[in-house]
Amino acid sequence: MLAYQLRIAAASLRRTPVLSALLVAGIALGVAVATTFVTTFHVMASDPIPDKSRQLFYVQVDNWTPERPWDRDRPEEPPDQLSWRDSQNLLASALPTRQTASFKADLTVHPASRDERPFRALTRVTRPDFFEMFEVPFLYGGPWDEAAEADRAPVVVLDEETNRKLFGGEDSVGETVRIEDRPFTVVGVVAPWSPRPKFFDVTNGALEDPEALYVPLSLTPEMEIRTTGNTSNWKPWDGEEFADFLESESIWLQMWVELPTAEARQEYEDFLAAYVREQQAVGRLTRPVNNRLRDVREWMTVSEVVPPEAKTMLIIGLLFLLVCAINLVGILLGKFLGRAPEVGVRRALGASRGAVFAQHLVECEVVGLLGGAVGIVLSAVVLRVLNRLFSEDLELFALDLTMLGAGVALALVAGLVAGLYPAWRICRVAPATYLKQQ
Amino acid sequence: MELGPVFRAVMHQKGRFWLVALEVAITLAIVVNCVNLALDLKAKYSRPTGLAEEEILVVRIDPFAPEFSEEDYRDVVRERDLEALRALPGVRAATAIHQVPLSGGGSATGRRARGTEDEPSTTPYFVVSSGAIEALGVELVAGRDFTEAELAMDTEDFEGETTPAIVSRAHAEKVFGDPAPLGKVMESTTGESSEYVVGVVDRMPNSWPDNEENAEYAVLMSGRPGSARRAYYLVRAEPGAVEAVFPMLDEAVLGVEPGRIVEVETMVDVKRDTFSANHALVKILSAIIALLVFVTGLGVVGLTSFSVTQRRRQIGTRRALGATRGAILRYFLVENWLVIGLGLVLGVGLTYGLNYALAEAAAAPKLGWELLAGGAALLWAAGLAAALWPAVRATRVAPVVATRTV
Repeated sequence: MLAYQLRIAAASLRRTPVLSALLVAGIALGVAVATTFVTTFHVMASDPIPDKSRQLFYVQVDNWTPERPWDRDRPEEPPDQLSWRDSQNLLASALPTRQTASFKADLTVHPASRDERPFRALTRVTRPDFFEMFEVPFLYGGPWDEAAEADRAPVVVLDEETNRKLFGGEDSVGETVRIEDRPFTVVGVVAPWSPRPKFFDVTNGALEDPEALYVPLSLTPEMEIRTTGNTSNWKPWDGEEFADFLESESIWLQMWVELPTAEARQEYEDFLAAYVREQQAVGRLTRPVNNRLRDVREWMTVSEVVPPEAKTMLIIGLLFLLVCAINLVGILLGKFLGRAPEVGVRRALGASRGAVFAQHLVECEVVGLLGGAVGIVLSAVVLRVLNRLFSEDLELFALDLTMLGAGVALALVAGLVAGLYPAWRICRVAPATYLKQQ
Repeated sequence: MELGPVFRAVMHQKGRFWLVALEVAITLAIVVNCVNLALDLKAKYSRPTGLAEEEILVVRIDPFAPEFSEEDYRDVVRERDLEALRALPGVRAATAIHQVPLSGGGSATGRRARGTEDEPSTTPYFVVSSGAIEALGVELVAGRDFTEAELAMDTEDFEGETTPAIVSRAHAEKVFGDPAPLGKVMESTTGESSEYVVGVVDRMPNSWPDNEENAEYAVLMSGRPGSARRAYYLVRAEPGAVEAVFPMLDEAVLGVEPGRIVEVETMVDVKRDTFSANHALVKILSAIIALLVFVTGLGVVGLTSFSVTQRRRQIGTRRALGATRGAILRYFLVENWLVIGLGLVLGVGLTYGLNYALAEAAAAPKLGWELLAGGAALLWAAGLAAALWPAVRATRVAPVVATRTV
């Protein structure tokens, strides 16, 4: 039956080629716009690490001044990052399966060749657990080990692009590269990897690419590595030295722990509370206990990773598709009613209302699908243009399988919505009127 | 006017006319809200900043030579850098600054007038060396520039004392309620840091020009900007000399001390980067508006064409009975006018509804009635234009059609 209906639909569409092209173009435009904005929204709102997002927790401790909350608009919220001191103390715990505190820095890399100028590279200063926790794929080698972390070993993991720049893309594990004032040994090269949003550090640009280098967190004090990310503090620190800064209440690190079970989570929560009380006993953390342990999705929501513009464009994109669908209704209605005499004959020859209705609905869905296919191609083009508009060298938005599915679904729904009324009208044609005329 | 018959004909065909009215209504809602958003975004980046944006070049320095960890060494290099930069042909002024205005990243602290218990105001600040006023191109409207003595002082000399500051007028009014608070002192809540105002500039942007609320709060503090890791110079070229000056800057600086990475950017590019998302959105919104008006126009063409085709016999009959071509044209235009008008009336409610929804979901700006009126006028005109071609075709129906099928 469906094959028969499809054949008739194709014949009907071929009979009026200009009108059919117009129908398909109209729906294609709607699907293109809607898919584009559904995709941009999806990129920003999606779960960046679906199989682990419920086991990874962002740690927050309130070290702000008793005089005022960290965020006056949301006074119940603790600060969004941790101080060096708190992160170091918390990392001493053996409870989490894996854990890391990390921050973003800007380090100078000196290429081996004399002709090339040194360059600045964004660096993630972190612990070895980082890589396995966040499922970072490796091209060569792997993370440094706990011993290297403990020994403050000068080891580095490069991203693929930096490895290409420095070593022509060869397996560079074991090679040496000078970073800042000392030689570093390459232990691994990360394969192209860019989770969206960049969930492990949303405080400093949720849509940015991951850093180019990774070095041990334990090198921070002796190399005096300063963060290039946000630093907030509520009082100036005493002293001028870097060590004084590390001792201060300035917050600039992001800390994550991996807790696979609800019990582990509870245990860690108790540990956090106990830690804060212990610090309160020695005169620190003077605000009421206000810790947070949020999983990836909760943390993305709280830190408002999805910009309001993305929501606006999503709403506007869907309304745009609605306008296209309404437009389609008008044209289809005209087309179908123009065919009323023919339908009258079919009805008189015994076609049921249901059959006529289904026949016309199938025709609408064919238009919807054709429009959807063209629309998705259009959308892929538009997304490339958008990437260019937002940033020169960032592959921010791309269609994935989910989005292809969404595009097809949107097209089908649009075809259905647009077809219902015209198909209903045409199936209620009274055969007698038209038979009389002929 | 034959409003009565037209209206009855519309009611007879109501399904399709309602559809077009609904389409027009939603189109109005989207178009007006998009224009509203686009204008709001545009206002943010076209607002005058007070800087000589077109003439400023930003020099970013990343030292890697170990000597830069010595503060004295940095002081010497900074002075020699500025000297070298100012000596270049086409350079009007140069200053060292610890953060770049309009760049999207900077420092801010909180200040209130001394002796008050006010909530401290957001105070974005820039530590600058000599020549800042001229290099920035800001206009000093009260007081004076920093003196040589003030600029030469080490910040540590000020320990516990009050340091000089030049404030933007907006900030002066916010903190002191006084557009020229010369000699008055502002301080942090703890009182540990404080500044006395020596001058007021008319307008000076901070690093976050997209922040509506406090984009014009800025304070210049005298000092010795630049750390062991990062320093910035702002170089102001003579009008029209930016391109000529641009390629000379990194060599001038590296000639003084090669142990650094130097990058030069125009202030125009810095600002464009900060607003890149805004620019992109304005383009997207404009494209959507154009496409939508086009699609709705097509809908109107389709409706009127269909209406004409269906009524060929009726038109022929009217023509045969003496109706002029003008009367036929008028008939279809009036019909169209009615349907679009209905759509626009519906659209007013929808537009405000959408504006409310967007404001709730995404903090969209409030909508003025002028925009709505403008949008309605635009759609009305577009609708009439779209109906014109099919309506003209209707006038070409020959009276003889009336006789053919009878």
